[in-house]
Amino acid sequence: MALLEIKDLHKSFKETEVLSGVSLSIERGEVMSIQGPSGSGKTTLLRCMNFLEKSDAGTMIFDGEEYELAGIGKAQIARIRRRTGFVFQNYNLFANKTALDNVALGLYSARRIPKKEAREKAMEQLKHVGMEGFAASYPAQLSGGQQQRVAIARALACEPELIYFDEPTSALDPDLTAEVLEVMRRLAGEGMTMIVVTHETAFAKEVSTKAIYMEKGKIKETKGEKL
Amino acid sequence: MTGQAVWELVTGSFPKILEYGLKVTLPLAVIAFILSTLIAVGVAMLQYAKVPVAGPLCRFYIWIIRGTPLLVQLMVSFYGLPLLGIHIHPFIVAVAVFSINEGAYSAETMRAAMEAVPAGQLEAGYCVGMSYMQNMHHIILPQAFRTAFPSLFNALISMVKDTSLASAITVVEMFTRTKQIAGQSYNYLPLYLEVALIYLLFCTVLSFVQRGGEKLLGSYGVRK
Repeated sequence: MALLEIKDLHKSFKETEVLSGVSLSIERGEVMSIQGPSGSGKTTLLRCMNFLEKSDAGTMIFDGEEYELAGIGKAQIARIRRRTGFVFQNYNLFANKTALDNVALGLYSARRIPKKEAREKAMEQLKHVGMEGFAASYPAQLSGGQQQRVAIARALACEPELIYFDEPTSALDPDLTAEVLEVMRRLAGEGMTMIVVTHETAFAKEVSTKAIYMEKGKIKETKGEKL
Repeated sequence: MTGQAVWELVTGSFPKILEYGLKVTLPLAVIAFILSTLIAVGVAMLQYAKVPVAGPLCRFYIWIIRGTPLLVQLMVSFYGLPLLGIHIHPFIVAVAVFSINEGAYSAETMRAAMEAVPAGQLEAGYCVGMSYMQNMHHIILPQAFRTAFPSLFNALISMVKDTSLASAITVVEMFTRTKQIAGQSYNYLPLYLEVALIYLLFCTVLSFVQRGGEKLLGSYGVRK
């Protein structure tokens, strides 16, 4: 059974239709890459899947539970979000929190884990992405690549079943891109389910078990579909 | 009056004037400032969240308060409250009016500071499972408060001087006390210069407090 299935997702911004009937599915342990030209709807698709944008129509089946995307309620959104992670193009680390607290905050505030325990878990995740030496640094003191690694640790800390990556290396120079891709490669190797919007064609080919190519709000091509 | 006599008048009155500064002016300003900041945060949050009914009501409050003079607000409250059967000490009336007045201005400062926090911060908060209120508490308000702090402190410094308007509703604060002493000696200018210096002294101390506060709040690693 697929971990996540999207059926016929539609999304318009005012008059402009950005997604016109997108369907996809991903199994546990799979890595799906989404590629396509700018403006083809990749990022919007990802944001709709994590409810940062409200979809106009479509169905989501997450771990066997079916949801109507247009009418989904706050509690249902919160329940699904607790099982997924999201990594942004521009990191979006909490500017007023240290690297350690960026990772720990979701644990001690949203999941009510005691602060000390949350910070211990956060430290483990920082080690996982090789950022344990920067635990006390604020985002403004870190390079882009370092910030993105902390952002990945933040997503991992909540023990998600699926992580969305929205062009995680687009804001980085080649050296910094390499360090972030290295972390993602390792995650893929460990069996993390990932949906990655990316322009890194080589990386997409190397790690993804399924590749989607989008154009004008539609999926034009799917490769590696297990039929 | 000889120079000697003026000097004696000034030094003799200094403790009497300062006493009312420390006993009335500063408490009035500080209490009203704290209350006004609480009002500001509440009003800014209602507007930021675009709460129906309450949001527009906040706009109405800000419109009324910003559109009328503080002195008039003091007078209307002083003469109006007894008509409603409310008899309270003029000092309390002054605290209430200053809080409500400054609250309207600071609410706009807070709202602007909240809106200046990038939308991505809120989105990231949602994505790690935080609720709207948890986002407010841990992310939006701390960042907004840091941005707004210098402007809010501006308001406090401004209020220390505006408290002299409370004399209009019979509150004996530092300025009124100075007037009384000046009236007894028929020598106004030296005493008004003296009280001006004491206001300046208060505001200088507050400026240092502001600098200390900014250090305490930190800059989250952003180099200044």
